[in-house]
Amino acid sequence: MNFLGNVLSYQHFPIYAIMVLFLGSFLIAVFGENRIARNILALLSITASLGFILKLVGPVLMDGEIIAYWMGAREPAGGYAIGIALEVDALSLFFALLVSIAVFVSGVYSIQYMNRDDNEKEYYTLYLLLCGGVMGMVLSGDLFNMFIMVEILTFAAVALTAFRNTVRGAVEAAFKYLVVGCMGSTCILVGTAILYAQTHTLNFAQLSQLVPGDVNTATKVAFALLFVGFGTKAFIVPFHPLAADAHGAAPASISVIISGVLTKSGIYGIIRITYFLFQSMGLGTMQFLLVFIGSLSMFICVTMALAQHDFKRLLAFHSISQIGYVLTAVGLCTALGVSAGLYHAINHTLFKGLLFLAAGAVLHETGTTDLNKLGGLAKKMPYTTVLFLVGAFSISGVPPFNGFASKWMVYQATYQKAVESGNIGFLLVTIIALVTSVLTLASFVKVSHSVFFGQLPEGLEHVKEVSFGMRFAMAIFAVLCVVTGLFPNLVTSYLTEPAARAVFNVAHYIEAMGFDGSAVTEPVAVSFSHVGTWDPVSWLLVLCIALLSVTIVAVGSKYDNVSRSKAAATESKYELFYGGEAQELSQLGGDDLFWGFKHNWRGYFNYMHRLHSGIVNDYALWAVVDLALVMLFSLIVL
Amino acid sequence: MTIVIGALQYLGYVLIFPGFLFCFLAGMLLCGIDRKLVAKMQKRVGPPVLQPFYDFFKLCGKETIVPAAAERITFMLAPLVGLAALVVIQLFIPVFGFTAFSGMADIIVILYLLLIPALAIILGGAASGSPYAGVGLSREMVTIISCELPLVLVLLAVAKTVGDEMGTGLCFSLSSIAQYQMLNGSLITKISMVPAAVALLLIIPGETGNHPFDAAEAETEICEGMLAEYSGAPLGVFKLSHAVKMLTLTSLFVALFLGGLGTGILPLDVLLMFLLCAVITAVAISFVHAVTARLRIEQIFKYYWTVVSALALISLVLAWYGL
Amino acid sequence: MIMLNYIASFFLIGLGLYAIVTKYNLVKTVIGLSIADYGVNLLLISIGFNPGGTAPIFTWSELDYNSFFVDPVPQALTLTSIVIGACVTAMSLALVIKLEEQYGTIDTRKIRRLRG
Repeated sequence: MNFLGNVLSYQHFPIYAIMVLFLGSFLIAVFGENRIARNILALLSITASLGFILKLVGPVLMDGEIIAYWMGAREPAGGYAIGIALEVDALSLFFALLVSIAVFVSGVYSIQYMNRDDNEKEYYTLYLLLCGGVMGMVLSGDLFNMFIMVEILTFAAVALTAFRNTVRGAVEAAFKYLVVGCMGSTCILVGTAILYAQTHTLNFAQLSQLVPGDVNTATKVAFALLFVGFGTKAFIVPFHPLAADAHGAAPASISVIISGVLTKSGIYGIIRITYFLFQSMGLGTMQFLLVFIGSLSMFICVTMALAQHDFKRLLAFHSISQIGYVLTAVGLCTALGVSAGLYHAINHTLFKGLLFLAAGAVLHETGTTDLNKLGGLAKKMPYTTVLFLVGAFSISGVPPFNGFASKWMVYQATYQKAVESGNIGFLLVTIIALVTSVLTLASFVKVSHSVFFGQLPEGLEHVKEVSFGMRFAMAIFAVLCVVTGLFPNLVTSYLTEPAARAVFNVAHYIEAMGFDGSAVTEPVAVSFSHVGTWDPVSWLLVLCIALLSVTIVAVGSKYDNVSRSKAAATESKYELFYGGEAQELSQLGGDDLFWGFKHNWRGYFNYMHRLHSGIVNDYALWAVVDLALVMLFSLIVL
Repeated sequence: MTIVIGALQYLGYVLIFPGFLFCFLAGMLLCGIDRKLVAKMQKRVGPPVLQPFYDFFKLCGKETIVPAAAERITFMLAPLVGLAALVVIQLFIPVFGFTAFSGMADIIVILYLLLIPALAIILGGAASGSPYAGVGLSREMVTIISCELPLVLVLLAVAKTVGDEMGTGLCFSLSSIAQYQMLNGSLITKISMVPAAVALLLIIPGETGNHPFDAAEAETEICEGMLAEYSGAPLGVFKLSHAVKMLTLTSLFVALFLGGLGTGILPLDVLLMFLLCAVITAVAISFVHAVTARLRIEQIFKYYWTVVSALALISLVLAWYGL
Repeated sequence: MIMLNYIASFFLIGLGLYAIVTKYNLVKTVIGLSIADYGVNLLLISIGFNPGGTAPIFTWSELDYNSFFVDPVPQALTLTSIVIGACVTAMSLALVIKLEEQYGTIDTRKIRRLRG
């Protein structure tokens, strides 16, 4: 009984949450031939993982406890960490929560979505491996362990990108991702090795204790290597073409993981090295680095997205654009900024997951994601349309959905930073963020017009609504999008504020593992006040009253005063107006819908098009140049 | 008991003033004044000032035709959502000292709330399935993008100026901006705010989609674009929304730059605000309409992102350095 | 002596990156990845090296404060890294075969359907 109580103590839950995913993966590899056994195993392991993480929310996020877990109870000896450790603070758990929710929903969706593919066994094996890798990475308290988990997730992601290897460009995308991804992993490994040579430890807490006091050329180089390495995982500029390629080819359920979770793990790594390992975020130049790369990602990727005509490729570019928001906000190094960034990270996982699932639903039913070949699906797939619109409104920041709540905090944070620091550069960032948001809206107007509204092209008359399982998965995300949008105060006070507090409380993180954290400079006070006011619930209430009264008046005054019978539908007055021309299909393609905008920026767009050449050597060169620049930067300023 | 009275009071705000009834009357009147003025400037007789009312009630009596190709629910719902969202924005805009719902939304929120009516008309048009609507929504969206940058700059400049004066660094709250102006005089009297005010004047016709920035609805070219398939009452509601949007933007201008003129007596204030709105309509909408020809969409974009943005930017930079 | 190791390892990493960036043959790209990986392995091993130390293989009874051995942790890291390197090579070669099947070439300049 005592043994059982010990085993079920929540101290062990982090490792369980990781292990059930890997265990599920291996069991499916062995017993997965049977469809039912496979689905049950997959569902069991993702549900168990979600359960373990949810159980940890109470002690870690609410009570602020830090779980320090030494594998095999090998605690530090002689002042040096020799065992492998998991360390779960509020920040880790925050990301783990994102991971487990996204994994759960995408797993539920996969069951129906992948039913027309063969090799489902391999799919689930790799899928759970990927999820386990991400989960392990965010819960790990050990730099080398993080590297191993990064490698696992990179491999699984590459293999899953190439999973549908008959899809156009799938193998090509996987190869590019593998090459640049491995360059990134190599960077992380070299960085780890250099830090080990300097400090003789791999434990994160101990590194955080030793590294900041001993910054020399070697550790500066290590910083650049780690930063670029985690940058490739987050796909921030200049690694964004890989994300676009990978998302376009991977199954939608995998895109959810890559975009919603894998990129977050890159952000997690960047937060860990900048705020914890090097404790360098107090430096204005370091803030500049993060905000600069974030803003660049934000703007370049949203303009790249405007030029796309593939549904999933477009979503992929948007996903990096939103990661840019997260990185920018996190890079501000203010309580409001970090809180806003983490809030946007949750929201991005939710709405981008929803959008990818909607894209997957369209692909599942029509067989294509080319915006020029689709149209008018709202009549055939009404539920998917509504769910897609929720996602589209969320990402474009239409109130009261969640994207608005977090973007609004990002604007406040950047503008406040600009005012407080007197630096006009942050003002520019605010403006870029606001303009990016409206460009995001534009490209989702494009998608909703070219996929769901407009005219139905020939050959799509047979399209049906997707099955209940897929709709259910999308609905989970949609409900969460609305809830996190309507109750921003709950989200900030219960999720993002504890995580932000953890970010600013490095000493506690070090001491929880039994090391000396007294050298850490005093943390920034973590309390923030909003500059503006936004009360979504009251607004929604007023809007509902207003809408209700218009509707009552409209219905009362016979707004829709002719109910059309089926027979009348063929009458000529119900045909579309063509100015006297013969009626024919004239759906506007999504390709160049906003030419009025692009025409003025044609130089930029042509240049960008040439730059994203699709040659893997170019992308590798960008990675090397990026590494060189960051290294130069860190040598000068750190 | 107090709860009931409070609820009734708020209901009154939504339904009567500054909600539906006020928006309906004032918006339509502004629209009528605009049409009359343009006609006078072009040496025409023009319609009577009450013509928009006649048009609206006539449209409501007409048959509503939903094209067979349209997605019915979105098509019918879009006008109503657009109108409701606009009326709700009007509730947040202070009438000098009086704000119906303060502490619920700041100017950044207003910026985003202004997108909802535009989105409603875009989605309604897209749902109709008409190719004209496709062209129209493309242009409408580009017009929104065009106006967004200068509008953002104007709002940030105002936030910075008021925040500096109040010692908080920046102030996004509309009611605080109104109160500040009640105490210290209108913002337009500050030299740094003049370019921003001019920029906002130039943005107003773009946001409302009035001539010469009406490429999205160009009647002679793409048959009113997104409205091509609308008829009857829904069309009437869209026309009403257009009128209310004129009221919203002009009263936003009054709230941001002319807020110090209030008398403190509500009926007088309302009358004053309406008169100011009419003047701004005459300057920013009617006059510009009468003397210009319609721009192409890429010209609209270029104009807003160069000339108007530059004006707003001057203001922002001046405000930044506390001039 | 150990300095030479460091120089050699960074030279190898640089050489690998050079191959990845400049060579248009997919197989050479894979070779570049492997070379960089060997460079990292050499770096790891060199970091753990103590001049005169023995192999870090002891039983509890043999271990005392006088035993002098090379740092075992980097060796463990190197083993892991070698395994991962082998995986990278295997997987990328598999992808190269698939690419050759689909595109009929292994020239990176021609494998660029996804661009822009």
